[in-house]
Amino acid sequence: MDGTNDLMRQTEESPAGGQDAQKGKYMTFKSGNEYFGLEIQYVNEIIQFQAITAIPETEDYIKGLINLRGKVIPVVDVRLRFKQEAFEYNDRTCIIVINVKSMIVGLIVEKIAEVVEIKDENILPPPTIGRVDKAHHNKYVYGIGKVGNSVKLLLDPDKLLNDDDLSAVEQAGELGMDEEDE
Amino acid sequence: MAEGFNTEDMLDMYLFENTQLLEQLQETVLEQKDADYFDEDSINEIFRTMHTIKGSSGIMMFDNITKISHKLEDVFYYLRESQPHNVPHLELVDHVLEVESFISEELEKIQNGDSADGDPSEIIERLDEFLNRIKNGVPGGAKEPEVENKHEEPKHFYIAPVATSASRFFRIYITFYPETEMANVHAYKTVYALKEVAEDLLYSPEDLISDESSSETILHDGFKMLLQAQCSEDELREIIGVGYDIKKVDIYECRAEEFLQGFDFGEHNATNIDLESSVEDIESRIKDAESLEPNTKEEKKKPEKPKIAPGDFVIQSREPGKQKKLAKDKPKGEKASFISVNVSKMDQLMELIGELVISESVVLQNPDLKVPGLNLNSFNKAAAQLSKISTDLQNVIMSMRMVPLTNTFQKMNRIVFDVSRKLGKDIEFEMVGEHTEVDKNIIEHISDPLMHLVRNAVDHGIETNAERIDSGKPDKGKVTLSAKTEAGKVWISVEDNGAGLDREKILAKAKNQGLLDGSKPDAAYTDKEVYQFITLPGFSTNEKVTEYSGRGVGMDVVVQNLQAIGGTLDIESSPGMGSVMSLKIPLTLAIIDGIVMETGGSAFVMETGVIKEFIRVKEEMMIHEPSGEEYIMIRGECYPVLRLGKWYGLEEYKDSVEDGVMLILEVEDKKICLFVDKLIGEQEIVVKPIPSYIKKVRGLSGCTQLGDGSIALILDAGGLLE
Repeated sequence: MDGTNDLMRQTEESPAGGQDAQKGKYMTFKSGNEYFGLEIQYVNEIIQFQAITAIPETEDYIKGLINLRGKVIPVVDVRLRFKQEAFEYNDRTCIIVINVKSMIVGLIVEKIAEVVEIKDENILPPPTIGRVDKAHHNKYVYGIGKVGNSVKLLLDPDKLLNDDDLSAVEQAGELGMDEEDE
Repeated sequence: MAEGFNTEDMLDMYLFENTQLLEQLQETVLEQKDADYFDEDSINEIFRTMHTIKGSSGIMMFDNITKISHKLEDVFYYLRESQPHNVPHLELVDHVLEVESFISEELEKIQNGDSADGDPSEIIERLDEFLNRIKNGVPGGAKEPEVENKHEEPKHFYIAPVATSASRFFRIYITFYPETEMANVHAYKTVYALKEVAEDLLYSPEDLISDESSSETILHDGFKMLLQAQCSEDELREIIGVGYDIKKVDIYECRAEEFLQGFDFGEHNATNIDLESSVEDIESRIKDAESLEPNTKEEKKKPEKPKIAPGDFVIQSREPGKQKKLAKDKPKGEKASFISVNVSKMDQLMELIGELVISESVVLQNPDLKVPGLNLNSFNKAAAQLSKISTDLQNVIMSMRMVPLTNTFQKMNRIVFDVSRKLGKDIEFEMVGEHTEVDKNIIEHISDPLMHLVRNAVDHGIETNAERIDSGKPDKGKVTLSAKTEAGKVWISVEDNGAGLDREKILAKAKNQGLLDGSKPDAAYTDKEVYQFITLPGFSTNEKVTEYSGRGVGMDVVVQNLQAIGGTLDIESSPGMGSVMSLKIPLTLAIIDGIVMETGGSAFVMETGVIKEFIRVKEEMMIHEPSGEEYIMIRGECYPVLRLGKWYGLEEYKDSVEDGVMLILEVEDKKICLFVDKLIGEQEIVVKPIPSYIKKVRGLSGCTQLGDGSIALILDAGGLLE
């Protein structure tokens, strides 16, 4: 009886175990000069860059629609999303397909870096230098992960997709010096 | 309820069956609402329906439904047996519909997981009162009184669910050993065993349990049974089983007629007469077979049975043979050719076929095939065959999703009836083309709009009886609901011969609400523009708010619902003659024929139906307004021009009209010229929604996948025209 219970617990746990294995792992990519991290549970897959059908009259960072094996998904250019300079897509450009609250969106990033493990104790809240009311500006970076000597900005994908206006430059600026109001 | 039943399934089945029964009932009632009385078939049908609902509700323990259906059953029982001539027909129709509504509401509650807590007592009271009234009015009442109170003693038969044509009839004689004690109990045991297989079972002596003398009769005369069942003689023997008590079992198969004659006893006594009537009952069961009588609750049914039996007898003696014919009219196999399928499975199939259509075009338009010098003869043949099959497949799945509008229209019939009765208006309702078929998804969307329109027509459209007489119109108002398909669209119109829309009143009201553009004189508004005001939220010209309409909600909801499925509402009206509200809705939403075109490097698709013409134009046909707007003269007609590339701010679109193509689009009598770079081809396209992440873009209704796997945007002509 106990034996079967154990077995059942094991089989039941295997998907949950997958979740456990995912915990603390981050998909990192480069955009501009910074490295960003996304919790791996949001990442469905990484696909090669493919032809995008542009949609008129949308925000410039929404590049359009791609056909992912029969599913139509929108793609967002992360650099444009952060109001950074546009970059030219090449064959090394990748699309990270993420699933946030069952909305599937592709993120165009310059370069995929690696999957890293960041322990909770190595994640710091983003420093809020300057006036406190500015804190709402860096909502989409919810933490800064230390990996060895480097630093990854950890992204909240929900805010990344839905917050109205954000600018990585502005945020980066905030981290260093106090810039003007938006 | 006994444990171990899957009550969930039972409940589903209960709801499904009874909902269908009620729909059927309503249809029957409405069909005959204008007659002077219900004909015999309908009375029987209503009676049967109520009986079935009562039975199944009893099993599911929905007491209020059981009570109310029982009461209505009583009324119809009386009608069918006594044939009173003085029944106020319309009142009866009201009563039936009232009960129908009550049960429908309860069923809906149950379906939504609420408890069926409606209180039927008021309706039951009214029915009681009604029943008493017609009973007392019956002159003579020849058969009625004796029927009520007769046969109170428990009967000696069991009735099991279904009698089918595969049934066989047996006479069974069981002889017990003379020394057997309590032979009646042994006999009862046999009866009990046979009940499992019996469709019908009579036995003699009838009273095994309480009458101890039956034991002697059994020992003396043997125990006789008449059995209707679907098993063989050997199986019966096995069930009865010869044991220490049973000496001999004789089983003779007999024909139905003999079976119906009952036992050929020596002594003709009261029991025999009783048997006679119960034989009639068997007949009634045969006739009733399709109503799937539940098997349990014998105790409950017993007291009612005798009531039915003489009733059947009366009818049958008047028209011999009729009942059997009824049974044959509805062959058992009929239902087997339909199965009900979960809609989500249909949607899934639809989606898969959509995928198939796309992959087909991916294969057939594969760039690998474009290599020069390939011999593709046999490939092309095979490809043609594949295309044919996939087109057929699409047509089949489409036709599976197509549902006739009959049910929806029937509901409207009910609304006209209810509302007109309450308002005291005399209104005739006509349905034209109710068999027109429409995609199931669309039907769900048009039911509410139609209801609003029909209510409006009855309430606002048609005048009161007095007003009609004053204006010299025929005293009966008329509402016509018609449907037809034309050019890939379904047209449904609600037409009334009432007063029509009052242009002045609408204009005045619009002015009050500040909807009019002050600089424009009233007369400058076309009738159509004026009528469009009534589709705005909060606009109602009816001063009185009635129970049914006049709250100013309705027309805007109608328009919204229609727009959601790409439909439109058209209003026509002539003062004093009535108005026509026409809905124009697409036949289906899923796969459409489209023209693929390209502008500024992007592919767009336009539904084939709205494109009137492709035309190459010359620069001198263009008319430029200083404001930047452009028009074009084509064969003496002037069309506004919309350049797709400019409209969407695309890059690198063709600037000169001579390089591209003009498409003349027509939507709701409005025409426009759309300028695109080039045409690519015609294709069946599977409409997919644009992901919700992207906010609504004007003029786009969806997207689709092209043969090369890329995505094209579907243009919505209506949106472009705005």
